Amino acid sequence: MSPVFPMLTVLTMFYYMCLRRRARTATRGDMMNSHRTIVSNSRTSPLNAEVVQYAKEVVDFSSHYGSENSMSYTMWNLAGVPNVFPSSGDFTQTAVFRTYGTWWDQCPSASLPFRRTPSSFQSQDYVELTFEQQVYPTAVHVLETYHPGAVIRILACSANPYSPNPPAEVRWEILWSERPMKVNASQARQFKPCIKQINFPTNLIRLEVNSSLLDYYTELDAVVLHGTKDKPLLSLKTALVDMNDLEDDDYEEKDGCEMDALNKKFSSAALGDGPHNGYFDKLPYELIQLILNHLSLPDLCRLAQTCRLLHQHCCDPLQYIHLNLQPYWARLDDTSLEFLQARCVLVQWLNLSWTGNRGFISVSGFSRFLKVCGSELVRLELSCSHFLNDTCLEVISEMCPNLQDLNLSSCDKLPPQAFGHIAKLCSLKRLVLYRTKVEQTALLSILNFCAELQHLSLGSCVMIEDYDVIASMIGAKCKNLRTLDLWRCKNITENGIAELASGCVLLEELDLGWCPTLQSSTGCFVRLARQLPNLQKLFLTANRSVCDTDIEELASNCTRLQQLDILGTRMVSPASLRKLLESCKDLSLLDVSFCSQIDNKAVLELNASFPKVFIKKSFTQ
Amino acid sequence: MFSVLSYGRLVARAVLGGLSQTDPRAGGGGGGGGGSSGDYGLVTAGCGFGKDFRKGLLKKGACYGDDACFVARHRSADVLGVADGVGGWRDYGVDPSQFSGTLMRTCERLVKEGRFVPSNPVGILTTSYCELLQNKVPLLGSSTACIVVLDRSSHRLHTANLGDSGFLVVRGGEVVHRSDEQQHYFNTPFQLSIAPPEAEGVVLSDSPDAADSTSFDVQLGDIILTATDGLFDNMPDYMILQELKKLKNSNYESIQRTARSIAEQAHELAYDPNYMSPFAQFACDNGLNVRGGKPDDITVLLSIVAEYTD
Repeated sequence: MSPVFPMLTVLTMFYYMCLRRRARTATRGDMMNSHRTIVSNSRTSPLNAEVVQYAKEVVDFSSHYGSENSMSYTMWNLAGVPNVFPSSGDFTQTAVFRTYGTWWDQCPSASLPFRRTPSSFQSQDYVELTFEQQVYPTAVHVLETYHPGAVIRILACSANPYSPNPPAEVRWEILWSERPMKVNASQARQFKPCIKQINFPTNLIRLEVNSSLLDYYTELDAVVLHGTKDKPLLSLKTALVDMNDLEDDDYEEKDGCEMDALNKKFSSAALGDGPHNGYFDKLPYELIQLILNHLSLPDLCRLAQTCRLLHQHCCDPLQYIHLNLQPYWARLDDTSLEFLQARCVLVQWLNLSWTGNRGFISVSGFSRFLKVCGSELVRLELSCSHFLNDTCLEVISEMCPNLQDLNLSSCDKLPPQAFGHIAKLCSLKRLVLYRTKVEQTALLSILNFCAELQHLSLGSCVMIEDYDVIASMIGAKCKNLRTLDLWRCKNITENGIAELASGCVLLEELDLGWCPTLQSSTGCFVRLARQLPNLQKLFLTANRSVCDTDIEELASNCTRLQQLDILGTRMVSPASLRKLLESCKDLSLLDVSFCSQIDNKAVLELNASFPKVFIKKSFTQ
Repeated sequence: MFSVLSYGRLVARAVLGGLSQTDPRAGGGGGGGGGSSGDYGLVTAGCGFGKDFRKGLLKKGACYGDDACFVARHRSADVLGVADGVGGWRDYGVDPSQFSGTLMRTCERLVKEGRFVPSNPVGILTTSYCELLQNKVPLLGSSTACIVVLDRSSHRLHTANLGDSGFLVVRGGEVVHRSDEQQHYFNTPFQLSIAPPEAEGVVLSDSPDAADSTSFDVQLGDIILTATDGLFDNMPDYMILQELKKLKNSNYESIQRTARSIAEQAHELAYDPNYMSPFAQFACDNGLNVRGGKPDDITVLLSIVAEYTD
C-alpha cells in the first residue's frame, strides 16, 4: 500500500473538520448558502477585467428597409457606436428590418404557416454581428431608438469569424430567449436582458426579432457586448429557468436520437413482445398517426426509439409531409438531413430557411437529400440559406418538377448564373427573389416559362438593368399574377406600369415603394387605379409625386383597398384621404408618415371618424 | 593628423548632419523644409457668420445661416467641406439650410464610416447626394459644395468643387492653388438640388459629376482655406494673405484666432456700402454699376498641414 492513502484520509478528515467548524460558526441561513452557492464576486479581479465592445461588423441578416449600398435604414448601421441613441425617432442612421406588425401576414402574398412549427419558435428576422475580441459574455445590451421590443432571442457562436483556420466545431448557444411581448412606450431604450453564462468565448452574436406586436418599424442603433477575457469563476447562480434549457435539450437529444438511429441497434430483448403496451396497439393505424401529428419533430424522433410499433409509426413518411427545419437551424447539418432522408420521401413542404450556414450543410448533402425527397416537393423555403450555389439550384430544377413555391429571399451569395435553372420549374406559382443577384436575362427566361406565376417578389434585386422590360414581360406572360413586389426597383417608369396594368388585371397587391422614377404627372397611378380594381395592397412609399388626384382615383376605383402607404409626399391633402377612407371600407392600414400636408391634428381627426383604420405617422424628432 | 579647426569642422558637420536626420516623428525636432515620411494631418478651425447677424463659434457640422460645413477624421484621410445653401428657396417655403446641413452631415458620416476613397472626393459628393434621396423626409433645396481631402500617407490633397464656394492653398505667403468658380450665369452657381416633382426641369440641378476635381501634393506648413462665396466675394486675395501672415504656429488656438479674424473682417466689409468688393468689381465688369460689399452667409475653414498625431 502506498503512503498516499493514509495521507489522503488525513487530508479528507482535516477538510471535513474545517467545513464543520465553518458550518457551526455561521448561522443557519449562512450554512445553507455556503453549501448551495459559491458567491461570485461582483468586483471582478483586475486579471479578469470586463471588456465592453460595440459591434465591429454586421455579417449576415435576413432583411432590411434600406437600399443595398446605402447607409440609410440599413442593417450595417448596427455596427459601431450608436449614432442616434438616446434620441427617439425615425432616423436614417439606424438599422431597420423590412416588415413590422402583422400586415405582411394579412396581405394577399402571405404564405400559410408550416404544420408542426413549435410554438417556442417565433423569430421572424435575424442579424449577426461580430466583435473584435472573443469574450465570455456577461451582458448584451441592445440600443433601440424606435418602437422597442422586437428582440426575442440572443445567441452566441463559438466560431471566430476572423480566425484564419476554419473552426473544428461550431456551436450556437442561446443566451436569452423570451416570447414576444408588447412594450408600451415607443421611446428609445437600452435593452438589457439577463443572459446566461456560457462556457466558451465568443465574438459572434446573433439577434432574432419578432415585430408582430409593434405598431411601426423597430429601429436599432447599436449592440454592446460586455464580457470577460478569461473564464469567470464558476458561479452556481440560480439561472433563469427552463426555456433555454429545454431548447438545449431539444438540440442535444436530437443529436442523440440521430446517432442512435444511424447505429440502428434495437435489441429485441429491450423491446419485448409481450402484451405490455396497454392496448395502445389496438388503436387503428390512422388514429395513432393522428395522435403523432401533434408532436414536434424532435419528440417524433425520440418517440421512434421507444418501441418497434412506434418506430414504425414515427418513420411513416406521412408524418413528414410538412417538414419545417427552420427552428432547428442552429444544429441542422448534413448528418441530420441524411437521417431524415429515409422518412421524408413524400415531403411536400420543406423549410430550410436560415439553415446550413458556416459549413453545416454541404452542397452534396443538400443534393443527396433532394434526390431522395424532391419528387413530391411543392413548396421549398430557402431564405438566407447561404450554402446554396449553382449546383444546388440545378438539382432543385431537376429533382423537383412539381415545385410551385420557391423562396430564395436574401440568398445574396447565389451567383447570377444559378437563377437560370429556375426557368425549368414550369409549375411555379410563387417565387421570392428579394435581395438576390438575379440578372435580367435569367429573369426574363423565368417569366417566359413560368406562366403560372401568381406571386412574384423582385424587391431590391439590384442587378436588373431595366425594369420596364421586366414589367413588359410580366404583363405579357404572367396573366395570373396576383401579387407583385417591386420594392426599390430603381428605374421602372410609366411605360412599365402601363404594360403591367393592362396585362395583369388580377393584381391584388403591388409594392412600388421607393421607386423614384415614377411620376404621377404621367398619369401612371391613375392608370393603375383604373385598370386594377382588385387591388388590396398598394405601396407608393417615398414616391414624392403622389397627389390628390391619385388618391381620388383610388377611392373611386379600388374599393377593396386594405393597405396603402404614401409616405413622404407633399401633395396629398386630408380632404382626399377622407374621400378614400369613406370609399374603401376595408382599409385597415394607411401610412402617411412625412406627408407634409397631413399633420398630427389631421391624423387625429381622420382617426376619430374612421377608428378601425391604423393611420401611421412616423416622425424624426 | 587633424588640426583643431578641421576636427571642429568634422564634429560640426556630423552634428548638423545628425540633426537633419532625426526622425521627425520623435516629437518637435526635425529641420524645416523637405518632405517627411510620416503621415500628414490637418489641424482645422473654423468660423462663420449667418447673414442675419447671428454669431457662432464653430461646432463641427454647424450651420451659419444657410451655409453648412463639416470636418471629419478617418484613419486614412482628413476631410472637410463647405456647402452654401441657395437662399432663393425661402420664397417657396423651404428652409435652405436643411439641404446644405444634411448634405454636410451625410458627408461627415460617410467619412467616419470609411465609405469613401481619399483620391475620389467627387465620389463623396455623389454618394452623399444619393443618400439624401434615401431619406424618408422629403428634403428640398439646393446648395454648392466643396470637399477637400488630405490623404495622409500619400501627402496629396484631393478636392472637389461644385459651384462658387472654394478653397485656396497658401505656401510661403503666396497662393499656389485655388479652386475655380463654376457659374451658369451671374450669381447662379452650379448647385446640387432636390426639387419638388412638379418643378423638376424648371429648377436648376447639376449632377455631382459636374464638380471640378483637382489633386496635388502638399507640404508641411501649407495653409488651406476653404470657404463659401461670402468670404471670397468680400475679401480679395491680398487681404486674406495679409491675415494669414499673422499665423505664426500650427496650434489650434492660433488657427482659430486667424479664422475668426478673417471671417469678422469679411463680415464687416460685407456691410460697407462704399467698399469696392470683389463682387462689386465683377458686377461692374459685367455692366452692373454697383458698389459695396455683399451681405451673405460666411463660412471659413482654416487648416494647416501638420504631422499626424492621433
